[in-house]
Amino acid sequence: MATAARPPSLRLGQQDLKCRRGCGYYGTPQNDGLCSKCFRDRNDKQRKMLKAGDMQPIIGGSSHGPASFSAGGTLERRSPQHFLVRDTPKKQVDKEPDTTSMLQKKKFTAVLQKTLQAGAQKIAQQRGYVPDPTESQFVKQLQKLRIPDDGKRKLKSEIQRLDNEIRKYMNSHSSKNIDELSDTVQNTYTKVADIVHNDPRFEIATNEDRESAIDFFEKVVMTQNHKFLFSPYFTTDEESDMMVQKRIRQLSWITSKHLDCSIDEVNAEARDLVYNAISELEKLQCTVRCCRHIFELLKRATGGPASADDFLPALIFVVLKANPVRLHSNINFVTRFTNASRVMSGEGGYYFTNLCSAIAFIENLNGESLGISKEEFDALMQPDAGLQSFSSPWESALMACESLHLISENMKQMEKLQRKNADISSGIASFEKELIEFQREVTERVDTVMAKAPLTLLPIKTPAFLIGQARSQLLQEMHEGEAGHYQANVLSGSQSLTVHSGMVKTAVAAEESGLALKDTSISSIGRLSPLPNLQQPDNLFASPIFNYAAFDAVSLLEEPSSGGCADVLMLGAELQGGLTNINYDFDLSDQSGENSTAEESKLNLDEFDPLAQPQPQPCGAPAAVEPETSLLNTTTDSLIDSDVPGTCVSLPSPLKPEVANYRGFSNFEIPSISCNTGDFSSLGHDVETTEKPK
Amino acid sequence: MATTPRSGGAGSGTAQRPNGTSQNKSCQFKLVLLGESAVGKSSLVLRFVKGQFHEYQESTIGAAFLTQTICIEDTVVKFEIWDTAGQERYHSLAPMYYRGAQAAIVVYDIQNQDSFQRAKTWVKELHKQASPNIVIALAGNKADLSNIRVVEFDEAKQYAEENGLLFMETSAKTGMNVNDIFLAIAKKLPKNDGANNQGGSIRPNGNETNRPTNNCCK
Repeated sequence: MATAARPPSLRLGQQDLKCRRGCGYYGTPQNDGLCSKCFRDRNDKQRKMLKAGDMQPIIGGSSHGPASFSAGGTLERRSPQHFLVRDTPKKQVDKEPDTTSMLQKKKFTAVLQKTLQAGAQKIAQQRGYVPDPTESQFVKQLQKLRIPDDGKRKLKSEIQRLDNEIRKYMNSHSSKNIDELSDTVQNTYTKVADIVHNDPRFEIATNEDRESAIDFFEKVVMTQNHKFLFSPYFTTDEESDMMVQKRIRQLSWITSKHLDCSIDEVNAEARDLVYNAISELEKLQCTVRCCRHIFELLKRATGGPASADDFLPALIFVVLKANPVRLHSNINFVTRFTNASRVMSGEGGYYFTNLCSAIAFIENLNGESLGISKEEFDALMQPDAGLQSFSSPWESALMACESLHLISENMKQMEKLQRKNADISSGIASFEKELIEFQREVTERVDTVMAKAPLTLLPIKTPAFLIGQARSQLLQEMHEGEAGHYQANVLSGSQSLTVHSGMVKTAVAAEESGLALKDTSISSIGRLSPLPNLQQPDNLFASPIFNYAAFDAVSLLEEPSSGGCADVLMLGAELQGGLTNINYDFDLSDQSGENSTAEESKLNLDEFDPLAQPQPQPCGAPAAVEPETSLLNTTTDSLIDSDVPGTCVSLPSPLKPEVANYRGFSNFEIPSISCNTGDFSSLGHDVETTEKPK
Repeated sequence: MATTPRSGGAGSGTAQRPNGTSQNKSCQFKLVLLGESAVGKSSLVLRFVKGQFHEYQESTIGAAFLTQTICIEDTVVKFEIWDTAGQERYHSLAPMYYRGAQAAIVVYDIQNQDSFQRAKTWVKELHKQASPNIVIALAGNKADLSNIRVVEFDEAKQYAEENGLLFMETSAKTGMNVNDIFLAIAKKLPKNDGANNQGGSIRPNGNETNRPTNNCCK
C-alpha cells in the first residue's frame, strides 16, 4: 500500500487530512472533515450521518501511533473494484504535499480538523442516539463485545463500509441484480469472518467472542438495511409470495393423513400445540420456536423424541394450514443476505432448511407425493372441491386458521388505522379547543379594552327651561289641537289666548291623565297645521318628542279608534309596529343629541338594548302592556271586572273599548285564552269582543 | 467396544470447554443422516448424543437436530447432526439438507432389503451431488436383531469398500458401534487444513458449495 510505505510523520498528517470516512479522498474542514462526496452522502441520510458522527472520532483516533496501521489495513481490505476506483485520485493527491509550506498548511488544517471532529463528536453525543434507539442499542452491544478495542473499531468500519456499499448499490441507477448484491454481502461476510479469525487484533478473543462479533456484524448491517433488502422492487419475490399463497389455498383440503404425519388429532393438547405452531409461523423469525412447538407436539404423538420422519410432514402440514404471508420474500431475504454459514449450520439453519423443504414440497406437490392417484388429486384441486371434504370439526377448524390469520392481519391494519384516526380526531379536538381558547382570548382582550375605554352613552341633557318650554308648548299645542279640531283655523292668530287656555287645559289634563295624553296625540294631528310662532320649538323636538308622545299615546291614541271601528288584531300589530318604529326613531334622535328628558331617554335606552334585534315582538307586548297598565290601571281593573259581564256594560264609554283592545291584544297570549275558556261568562264576552270587529 | 469411545468422549467432553480456546483445534462438522424411514436414524443419533451428555437433554425434545462434541487426540470435533425425513415422498428435498454437509451417515435396516437398496441410491446421489470430499458412512442398523437379518454383513461390507464408504453394523438399542461410527467419521474428516477449519470449518466450504444451490427453494 502506498500509505503504509510513507514515513510515519507524513502519514500522520495525511491521515488527518483524509476524508474521515476513510474513502481515500481528502476532506475539508468546511465539510466537517469529509470529502465532498461523503459529505453529500452524509447530508442525504440523516440517520447515517449520526452513525458517521460516531465513527469519525474512532477512525481519526486510530491514526495515532500503532493504531495508524488499522487505517492502512482498512484500505487494504477494501473490495477490489472499490479500491480501483479510489486509488487513482489518491495517488495524484499523494504527489502534492512535497513542499514544506504545504506540509505546514496541512498540519494546521489537521489541528483544525481535530477540533472540528471533537465538536462533531460532542454534537453526535448530545443529539445523536436519542432519536434512533436501535442504533444506540447496537452501540451498547458493540461495547459489550469481548473483543479488543482495535477489533471493535475494525468491525465498526467494516459495518459502515458494507452499509455504504449496499446503499450505493440500491441508489445507483444501473440495472440491479439481487444476486449481485447478495454476492457482495456474502463476500463481505466471508471477509469479516476471515478478519475476525485471522487478524492480529482479534488474537486474544475466544472463539465464542469471535462468533458473536461476526453475528453482531451481520445483525447490524441487516437491521439497518432490511427495508432496502427485503423483497426489493426489482425482484419477483412478491409474485412468488402470491403464487405460493394461492397454491397453499388450493391445497387446503390436505389433511395430516395425506402427508403421512402422525398428529394426534383427538388430543386437545396436541391441537393447541398445532394452533400454537401455526400462529408462531406467522412470523418467520419465529421459525425455531414454531419448530419447537412441532416437536413438542410430535413428542406427544409418538411418545418420544421425534425424528425428521415425523417432523417434516408436521411442518409441511403447519405451513399449509398457516399460509404465512410473504413466505418467499422472507425466505429469499434470509438466503440472500444471511451469513450463508448460518443457513447451513446450527439449529436455526436446520429448521430453516426444513422450512425451505416444506415450501419446495408444497410447490412441487402432486398426487403421487400425497399417496393418492392423479385423478383424485386433480379433483381435489378444483376450486370448490375443498369445501365439501371437511368431515370433522378439526378439519374445518384448521381451514379456518388461515382465514383467522388473515383476519388478525387485517385487524392489525385496522388497529393501526384506528390509531391514526384517533390521532386525527384528537388533533381536531385540540385544534377546536385552541380555536375556542383563541376566541375567548380575543373576546377577553376586546372586553378589557372596552372596559378600559368604555363607550358611555350619556343621557342627553336638555336645558330645563327648554323642557319647560317644550312642555308648555306641547300642552299649548294640545289645547290648540283640541281646539283645532273644531276651530284651529279660527284661533290660529291669537297666541296668548291659546297659551292661557293651554294652561287651564293642563290642569284638566293632569287630572284625567289618560284623556290628556290622548289629547296630546290628537294634537299631533293638529300640529300638522303649523303655527308660525310655534314653529321653532316644534321643530326642535319634532321627531323625538312627537314620536315619544306617540309612543306613550299610541296605545291610547288607538283606543278611541279601535273603540270606533279598528280591528283588534290589526291594532296589536299596529301597536307593535308603532313601538319598534318609535324606539328606533327615538334612540337615533337621542344619540343625535336631540332634546328629551333624562328619565325618558333612560327608560328608552334600557328598552332598546335588549329589544334591538332578538325580541322586538315578544318584548313589544309587555312594553305595550306596561304603559297601559301603568297609565290605565282602570283598564286592568276593568279586565278583572270583565269577568262579571255587568261591569262591562256599566263602565264608562271611553274605557269600554280599552277592554276590548286589551283582550284583542292578549289574544296572542295563551294565559288569557285559558282564562277565557275557564269561564263561560268571559267566553260570552270574548265572543262579544270578537264579534265587534266583524 | 462401545464403552471405550464413550468414556473417552465423556472425558474429553468435560475437558472441552476450558480447552476449546486456542491450543486445541476445534472443528465443527455438519453431518446429515439419510435413510429410509423407520430404519432407526433418529435412534442412532439419540443413542450417540444422549448416551454421553445429559446436558443436551433439553434439546432432545426433537431428535431431528442435535449436536454432539467429541474429542479425538487434541482436536475437539463438534457434530451438528441433521436428520432427514426418510419417506419416499420427501426424497427430492434431501439436497437441501446435505448441501454443505461434510459428512453423511446412510442408514439401512439389516432386516429390510429395500432399505439397503434405498441406501445405495442415497450413496449414489451423494457422490453425484454432494460436496466432493464428503465423508460417507454406511450403517446397518438394528444389529441386535442379527438373527433375523436380511442384508448380509459381507454384502454390505463389500459394497462399502467398492464405494469408499465407512461401514459398520450398529445397534441403537444396545449402543453397539454407535460411538465408533461417529468417531471413525471424525477421524476421517479433514482436520488438517488448520486455519481454514479453525472455529468453523463449515464457513468457507459452505459458502462455496451452497452459493449455486442456494436458490433451490425458489
